[in-house]
Amino acid sequence: MKTIKIVFKVTMALLLSATILPSCQDIVDEPLQNVQPAEGVDYTRSEDMVLLIQGAYGEFNFLQWETFPVISVRGDDVNAAGDQFPLTETDAFRYDRSFWMYNSAWLNLYGDIINSNGLIEGVNRFKENGADAQLADQYIAEIRVMRAFAYLQAARLWGDLFIFESSDPTTLVDLEISEFEEVMQHISDQMDLAIPDLPDARPNQRTDIQNGITRYAALALKAYANLELKNWQEAVNATDEIISSGLFELYPDFYDAFNIPGKNSNESILELQYSDFGQSSGTNTRYLWNFFGPASYSPAVEGIGGGWGFWEPNEKFIKFMLDRGEETRLIGSVNFTPDGIASIESDPSYSPLPDFVTNVSPDGDIFNNHPRYNFQSAKHYMPSNQYTPGRTTFGENNNFRVIRYAEVLLMHAEALVSGASSSVMSADEAVNMVRERAEMPALTTVDLDAVLDEKYAELAMEWGHRFYDLVRHDRVEELGHDINGEQVSYQRNERYLPYPLLQLDLLPQLKDHNNNE
Amino acid sequence: MNKIFKNSAVARAMLLGIALSFTAFTSFGQRTITGTVFSADGNEPLIGATIQIKGSATGTISDIDGAFSIRATNSDTLVFSYIGFLPREVLVGAQSTIDVALETDAVNMEEVVVIGYGTQRERDLISAISTVESEDIIKTPTPQAMQSLQGRVAGVQIVSNGAPGGAPTVRIRGVGSFEGAGAPLYVVDGMFVDNIDFLNPSDIETMSVLKDASSAAIYGVRAGNGVVLITTKSGSFNQAPQITYDGYYGIQNPQNVIQMSNAQQFAQYIQETGSAADQGFIDNAMQRYGRSTVDPNIPAVNTDWYDLIMSPAPMQSHNVSFSGGTNQTKYSIGLGFIDQEGLLNETRNEFQRFNIRTRVDAILTDWLTVGGNINGSHATRYDGSNAAWFNAYHSVPILPKTDTLNTAASEPQLANAQSLGYRGLQNPFYSLIYNDNQNKIINLVGNFYAQAQIIPDKLSFKTQYNYNFGSINNRSVSFAFNDGVTDRVSSLRRSQQTRFDQVWDNFLTYNDNFGKHNLKVTAGQSYRSESVEGLFARGTELDPNPTRDNEELWYLDRALNFEQDGIGDFGSNLFFMSYFGRLSYNFDDRYLLYGTYRADGNNKFQTKWNNFATIGGGWIVTGEPFFNISGIDFLKLRASWGQLGNDAISPAVGTPTLNPGRLTVFNGAPVEGRVFDPTFDLIDRPETTVETNFGLDARFFKDRLSISADYFIRDTRNLAIFIEQPLIRGAVRRSLGEIRNEGLEVTANWTGGTGDFRYNIGGNFATLNNQVLSLGGADFQQTGGEFLQRSTVGGSYLAFFGYEINGVFQSQADIDNSGYTEEFLTNTNLAPGDFFFRDQNGDGEINDEDRVALGSFLPDLTFGANLGFSWKNIDFSMLLQGQMGHQILNRKRGEIIFTNDTNIDAELFNNLWRGNGTSDRYPSAAGLRKGWNQNSSEYFIEDGDFWRIQNVQVGYTFGNEGSPNANMPTVRLYATAERPLTVFDYNGFNPEVPNGIDRQVYPVAAVYTLGLNVKF
Repeated sequence: MKTIKIVFKVTMALLLSATILPSCQDIVDEPLQNVQPAEGVDYTRSEDMVLLIQGAYGEFNFLQWETFPVISVRGDDVNAAGDQFPLTETDAFRYDRSFWMYNSAWLNLYGDIINSNGLIEGVNRFKENGADAQLADQYIAEIRVMRAFAYLQAARLWGDLFIFESSDPTTLVDLEISEFEEVMQHISDQMDLAIPDLPDARPNQRTDIQNGITRYAALALKAYANLELKNWQEAVNATDEIISSGLFELYPDFYDAFNIPGKNSNESILELQYSDFGQSSGTNTRYLWNFFGPASYSPAVEGIGGGWGFWEPNEKFIKFMLDRGEETRLIGSVNFTPDGIASIESDPSYSPLPDFVTNVSPDGDIFNNHPRYNFQSAKHYMPSNQYTPGRTTFGENNNFRVIRYAEVLLMHAEALVSGASSSVMSADEAVNMVRERAEMPALTTVDLDAVLDEKYAELAMEWGHRFYDLVRHDRVEELGHDINGEQVSYQRNERYLPYPLLQLDLLPQLKDHNNNE
Repeated sequence: MNKIFKNSAVARAMLLGIALSFTAFTSFGQRTITGTVFSADGNEPLIGATIQIKGSATGTISDIDGAFSIRATNSDTLVFSYIGFLPREVLVGAQSTIDVALETDAVNMEEVVVIGYGTQRERDLISAISTVESEDIIKTPTPQAMQSLQGRVAGVQIVSNGAPGGAPTVRIRGVGSFEGAGAPLYVVDGMFVDNIDFLNPSDIETMSVLKDASSAAIYGVRAGNGVVLITTKSGSFNQAPQITYDGYYGIQNPQNVIQMSNAQQFAQYIQETGSAADQGFIDNAMQRYGRSTVDPNIPAVNTDWYDLIMSPAPMQSHNVSFSGGTNQTKYSIGLGFIDQEGLLNETRNEFQRFNIRTRVDAILTDWLTVGGNINGSHATRYDGSNAAWFNAYHSVPILPKTDTLNTAASEPQLANAQSLGYRGLQNPFYSLIYNDNQNKIINLVGNFYAQAQIIPDKLSFKTQYNYNFGSINNRSVSFAFNDGVTDRVSSLRRSQQTRFDQVWDNFLTYNDNFGKHNLKVTAGQSYRSESVEGLFARGTELDPNPTRDNEELWYLDRALNFEQDGIGDFGSNLFFMSYFGRLSYNFDDRYLLYGTYRADGNNKFQTKWNNFATIGGGWIVTGEPFFNISGIDFLKLRASWGQLGNDAISPAVGTPTLNPGRLTVFNGAPVEGRVFDPTFDLIDRPETTVETNFGLDARFFKDRLSISADYFIRDTRNLAIFIEQPLIRGAVRRSLGEIRNEGLEVTANWTGGTGDFRYNIGGNFATLNNQVLSLGGADFQQTGGEFLQRSTVGGSYLAFFGYEINGVFQSQADIDNSGYTEEFLTNTNLAPGDFFFRDQNGDGEINDEDRVALGSFLPDLTFGANLGFSWKNIDFSMLLQGQMGHQILNRKRGEIIFTNDTNIDAELFNNLWRGNGTSDRYPSAAGLRKGWNQNSSEYFIEDGDFWRIQNVQVGYTFGNEGSPNANMPTVRLYATAERPLTVFDYNGFNPEVPNGIDRQVYPVAAVYTLGLNVKF
């Protein structure tokens, strides 16, 4: 019996010790580590609102590499030179809804749209909780511009789209599809909402958000949308405002306009911002320039990396430039390889080529032959002597040009020759201003042909402008071009890409919708 | 039983030791009593029986002849006991010779099986539990104990991992969860761990696999994927000290190496594609490295990358252990070392682990037992670059390893495929030579327990505190180098993760008999906490540049710059409180009833408390008086139902969150900002499983044949699944899935022999049918993008999805007669040599409507067979295993949809379509590059069926029988062949691919070892 008593004492002690443990309820109510629900955000801390606009620019500046070529490959200005079957097929106007790049570009653009919707909701909550209303409205206006840019690109690819303000993708399942024209009108209306709240300045004049979005980016987007709607006068009203502000000027050197010296110049209306922060290694933000970079070259500064060589100016474009007697813009747009020079010279009417056509860049980088391409886009090339010492990754520290003042001038001219009128600047003046920088003689009369040619010469390889211009003016037979010896031509029902297969699986309404009718 | 008879030398040693230790206790009034202990039924001497003077610590054990000798007084009572026999007490009185016959204990002779929070007689089990013993575990030469279960346990699928130190994927009864690979819970001496890759297989005494809900439900919310109970080795009471050495040395030999196209085949393939650019690369190769002397149209270089990057690698293991015990204390100490080198060349690719463990149990008083153990492991793992495997498959054979023309490149001037015009470096040696990835892994598992007999033999209380400390210290270095074109800066990433988990169990066990009623009740409480925290940082441009020779300088403070998004901090703190109970009832050894209940509280999910119950019954038919069929010795039927949970999924708070945004430049500074993530996950509860199990156990022909069978239906609800969202990248997680795993498991064993010859033969198989029951209202969910995997309600989870193939178009006429509409053919540009996809709905077009499920990555059938015999000093064992009915996505071949810059494997090359009648399996070379043929289809999906000779071991034990010298060690020499032969059709190294997607799998090598086991 004595033993049993001891046993009980010990047992009681053990059981008591168990009660020292935290009580059940305390334990199960312990919070999870490092998770901040949006509900738990302190929206009264107005100084945190800036985090949202920083996040918005982070997403906006992040452009996945496949998005740009899908948007831009279809014209007669550029070929997809790499091993990317979806791109070469798209360039040849042969579309397949299961191409991975279509789905990826779709997701990238819509991801930006939904993210923008969420950020606008967030900024509004800061505003409701006492943040500076004017600042909040400005942030919202900037995000609206980013969102409109995504809509513009998506609509150019797919035509009819979903428009929505929600940040919850599950609400889209029953959403109706809007026609291309409705999307463009939406962009224009959104820009009207945004413009009053945006800074009246050139991006590089901004000090609160350096090189950020100003009302001129919104006006440029409004002009794009109205050109697509053929509301020529509305387009001119927008370009008038940009031109008459007197804030913008063309960067004097066309070649360097795309390089480090032209980064955030007075010509820039919108640029994706990247930086190496002046350090030889470590933190950096960059576009994946490798896509454009030369796959075989001898840089003047050794050790600078190259790229994949996927973005090749079309020979048709080069001959067009030679025919016009362009020198400045040809050098600023095309890097030649020896094989490329030989290929053009094999056409007797172009032999011999002028001396300025060489495989050595103005900065001394030498472009070698490559089985996949004969030419490279000089607009997407960065001379090897412009890198921050220590940095060797191709294109590092350069910005990605999105909207240039030169384009605004040419949109202005396009709308004017299509029937609008302007008291600010004539079509001739606009075109000749662009030509002057290109060291081309002034034109005396400007018609649609002249404007479209000028856009071809000025904007080649940038954002698919050539394709969208010719489709807009229904001059699609001019889109025919040569891809590795194959002549491809455009059919009228090939304006839009098929909706990506993976999206058809998720959004059944896309299945029954023919966007090319 | 057998073991005890066999180890006569051990018994002698024990006898000697004990006898010596007790001679000192001679005291006044005592005299020597001698006698023999033997079995009542067989009249055989019992070796090692305990003879103890009641109420004292004095005792001895019987020798090889069952004889004993002890000093006692007339008034002493001797207690004779022996495992499997009923104890017997004899008063000494005037006797000087006492011969005792012990009756077999029908009840206790039964094997005892380890179950959660206790043990149970195998006879009383109504559950599906498979136990694997140490001797089988150590047959497999591997650092990973779970690997040894492959083919041994029906219903447990093991997918091997070839990387040094890599843990296999373990699935018990199919896939019931998709996070954490559905890994089971491992309970190591009471501690919960997620894997046992730190344990030395030699330290394990038994592993009990709790397969069904009735056995696992006592572990509640952790048991959803099954439970593996691991008991580490301990000494025995009254055991003479024993020293054991066990070690082996062996070679891992890569097998079934994929043949890639050689330079001649590659050149022909390129020529067949008609691609001028690719022909240009070959021309460049000929210009740069010369032409073949045999055929001037082929480059001279002909590189077999697999041959260059890997070679056979050694492996060795050494274990020393001490164990022993007095009548009050037992102990076991072990020390182990294993070194497994990887197959990769020119890089550090190796796994080394030291294990040290001690375990002590002590009977403090007749009512209190205490004990504890510590199991420490310290491992270093050098991960070779996986990219090397990827590159070796894809790199063109016309590129040499080194290239003296690549003058700007760093030593050893590796060739760079960019110099031929290709997009990437390709050469796998860049990733091998210029990278080093090292992990230092420490794990410490320990426990302390005290067990009190409150009412002797009836009520006991046990408290056990378990502790687990783990640390992973990673140092990942990239050296600076120049590839001939680009300067690459050096970088160093360090990460440090520590975890600290504890479990404190307190429970009462009550055991009683009332007539024919036998009752065992357990009730207790358990507290558990898991905390993890970690830091990581990455710096670039180290000064000096890191090389293999200056490892002592690989420190972050030598980095010139840091990446803002390369620095981070993470952690979690989880707490759990549980209450559990169990009732086990046996009526007259005929009717069995079993039930458990557990309530689990947690801070991980919004659903704070979850309850899990099980109930089951059994009927021992052979126990019925009316049962009298000769040849059937034992037959038990059993059925059970139970609930399980799985909390090994990441919780999600279920509201939109503000997440750190992308790094961007903002006013000249790098900032991350915040982005609003509206697509929140909502995982507010653990996954729950309900399982019904029917089983039978039978033994025939004097127990020579034993058969065990189980049929189960296992439904998992609240499964955390990914739900793809329209319009945005990524998917959201929701607790909405419901899935069923259903199958039959059968195990049969036969043992027999005559004289010196003993043999056993056995086999097992398990079927599995995996079916999605619900996806939260959706008809299907899919993932995988271009290589689509789709879960469809009624189909298998994540079945591969795409077009079926009728064959390859052999001619234009075939295309015209394909049944495709003219309009479709006009738009599609088909040519002979393209796939003929099956038009499932017969509308004359191939589109999304024609895609179907193409099979699952889960095998329908797994099987194993074992054979063993011993004759005199020779022993032999062999294990076969196989898995069937699963599909593998040959993603290596699929990579061509992203780039053409690659080589193709020889099997593909040899069977490309090259004109009418040449191939009905593969398209033409040009066709391989067409979008049409790159659609997700049967072409990429291959049968994964295989069977394998898993393990063969031959041993010879040097004779000690009849030797009077107890100090002579027992020596066994053995040779093992692990996986000497694997038979399969799949075009890869290995048909074992954890998730069925073969992009770059580390080859699983055959291992041949020679081993030595010495016992003193």
